[in-house]
Amino acid sequence: MTMLLDIFDPKAAPRAIGIDLGTTNSIVAYVRDGAPSALITCDGAPLLPSVVHYGPAGAVLVGRAAKAQLTRDPAHTIQSVKRFMGRDAKDPETARLGAHKFATPKNDEQARSVRFDVGRVVTPVEVSAEILKSLKQSAVDQLRSVGGVVITVPAYFDDAQRQATKDAGRLAGLEVLRLLNEPTAAALAYGLEHKQNGLFAVYDLGGGTFDITILRLEDGVFQVKSSGGDSALGGDDMDRAIAAGLLEQMGASGQSAPEVVALALSAARELKHALTDAPEASLELPAKGDTTIVAKLTRAQLDALIAPLLERTGKACRRALRDAGIEAAALDGVILVGGSTKVLRVQSYVAELFGKQPRCELDPELVVAYGAALQADLLTRDDGEVLLLDVLPLSLGIETMGGVFSRLVDRNTTIPVSAKETFTTAVDDQTAVDIHVLQGERELAVDNRSLARFKIPITPLPAGVPRLEVTFLIDANGILQVTATELRTGKAAAIEVRPTYGLSEGDVDRMVEESFTYAEADVEARLLIEARNEADTVITHVERALRQGEGLVGPEERQTIGAALETLRRARATEDRARIQEATTAMNRATEHLAELMMDAALKAALASRRADQVLEK
Amino acid sequence: MTTSPFQVLGVPALFALDETELEKRHRDLSKALHPDRYAGRPSSERREALSRAISVNEAFRRLRDPISRAEALLSELGREVSETNQPKPEPALLMQVMEQREALSTARRAGDRPRIESIAEQASGRAEDAAERMADAFSEDPVPVELVLRLLGELRYLRRLKEEAGAALDEL
Repeated sequence: MTMLLDIFDPKAAPRAIGIDLGTTNSIVAYVRDGAPSALITCDGAPLLPSVVHYGPAGAVLVGRAAKAQLTRDPAHTIQSVKRFMGRDAKDPETARLGAHKFATPKNDEQARSVRFDVGRVVTPVEVSAEILKSLKQSAVDQLRSVGGVVITVPAYFDDAQRQATKDAGRLAGLEVLRLLNEPTAAALAYGLEHKQNGLFAVYDLGGGTFDITILRLEDGVFQVKSSGGDSALGGDDMDRAIAAGLLEQMGASGQSAPEVVALALSAARELKHALTDAPEASLELPAKGDTTIVAKLTRAQLDALIAPLLERTGKACRRALRDAGIEAAALDGVILVGGSTKVLRVQSYVAELFGKQPRCELDPELVVAYGAALQADLLTRDDGEVLLLDVLPLSLGIETMGGVFSRLVDRNTTIPVSAKETFTTAVDDQTAVDIHVLQGERELAVDNRSLARFKIPITPLPAGVPRLEVTFLIDANGILQVTATELRTGKAAAIEVRPTYGLSEGDVDRMVEESFTYAEADVEARLLIEARNEADTVITHVERALRQGEGLVGPEERQTIGAALETLRRARATEDRARIQEATTAMNRATEHLAELMMDAALKAALASRRADQVLEK
Repeated sequence: MTTSPFQVLGVPALFALDETELEKRHRDLSKALHPDRYAGRPSSERREALSRAISVNEAFRRLRDPISRAEALLSELGREVSETNQPKPEPALLMQVMEQREALSTARRAGDRPRIESIAEQASGRAEDAAERMADAFSEDPVPVELVLRLLGELRYLRRLKEEAGAALDEL
């Protein structure tokens, strides 16, 4: 299709997009003619600073305009919000992270999320949603119709942080197809799958997070062998280290006003960037008593300042290699990701660490968004060649007697995965079982990150008699779902619980509704379109399934499916959204068995491609 | 998981499985049914794919690790074992393990990286050796279950030692 046709086609097909929701900058990209390309954001450049400013009259600024408010109005400006995602108010990281004013939580529920006081109270999910909304708007302006989105997250993000990211996407009115690990996205962007099989390390030092990932690529399948890192280590820490020195030179001692700190931080960034091209850099800064000073920084000074930070990344890299069971020499390549890898000392450190020159021919700041766009494209094209297999970044488990952390799923297990555990009661007539879910590697429950506490109601019975089977399911995004089934007298009552991180599903729904600026009729129209789209998808796939799986089901079942299909087609033609949705659900139910049989056939085909004796040793 | 992991991956119920081939099998099956392949499909297909992908990953996890692979084989023979109902280890093994632990904690206190690395390497070597003996045991008919259980205990101890050595290296 030519561009011209594209412009005048009112029913342009929705385009899938990829978003790198970064600590410092965010980027939106899409795939055009098979190649990823970054879209221009409202700032007129691909990089949108991840800064949000809340004005007195409720006006929200995002990007460079918000960044300008960092020095003028820091109390109402939020930067590096990614670091607060999925963190609770008491998290030690929360206090360490800076110049923000926090609202005091009124109850336990509120304490499960950081809450910024910016004139009104906002959560990190809402702040992130503002950034996503702005990116979505840019994409709509340029592509006119935006379909699903792939959002990237650090491989090291735990369940709470992933869930918060997904919620932010929903709140921004985006259909989140998938959360993708940033290093995997980078590997995809380098098009490694076209070139070679092998082992690769992705060293990703961004604004606020560090990730190291060991990937194996074979036959078009990317498999994460191990991942590690630090979700609170990055370029921001370099800036802080530099800024601390600047503040001293400015004569600002002890606790400085947020305005002064923000000024020092932005000067630090400027000096750091300048040092990529020059051996030394200087900058004029205001100092105590209306004077000015000239702050100077040399490469050697910068190298010394960041040495401890690099050593921390080195430690995580060595551990990831050990987890993957390989030596650095076995790697076929090392990829650099993240703006902070533009610092020359970082590049030479990585070369020393792995014993080989890292690759950085793609812009390390755009490479993750490119990968996200490619993945979004793959997901919507139904292309069978490339597949990403991710692993669980941190072990998942529950608290057992005496505060001990009992692991149910080990870190680096390929996802999706599930684990089952049976619980019983300790006292007679207990009416509920408490379950505390945690993520981490430490022996004691308190040392790990608490994800959720559930109270699951059970029928009162003598102690030890009830049998509650709890299933922990981790989906391909690394997000946890919990299902509990009471097993007694063969009767199973299942309930589903979703961990809450200060925002319940209802909260998110309400916020989504509130954020609609449309008139009610518009909302209804939009929902009708969505229902019809879903119905169309189902119809297409069922028709195909009936063709492909012709011999799999008997005449009776074919008739049932055919009838459901006819009902759905008729409902699709009406304006009645509820009827369309109902018919779609019925259609899905009618094809469950067929889907199962087709999956069996697909499995058999996959297995048949290799003879059993080839699996035997030698 | 009620179905045998060997069945799920379509491989023979043997201890001596080639890891490269096992990985290839896992990849092939994942390509056929990873949830990403079903992103745009109706929810009935998505649910089915998810649960299949989970059993494939679970089977792969169990067969890739020699300890859980041995457990799976024992379970095929009708012997359910886990860490908690493991028979008592032999005194000789216990002595060895205690000596190694001792050596490890000394090296740990001294911050002696090469020494810790050599302990970890030794443990790996001995684990490989035990796995070989395990393969031999499982190829006998009937399978000498008591010997298998002893070897299983040894593998567990060696793994814990390796983990502790790893933790010690992390601290450095």
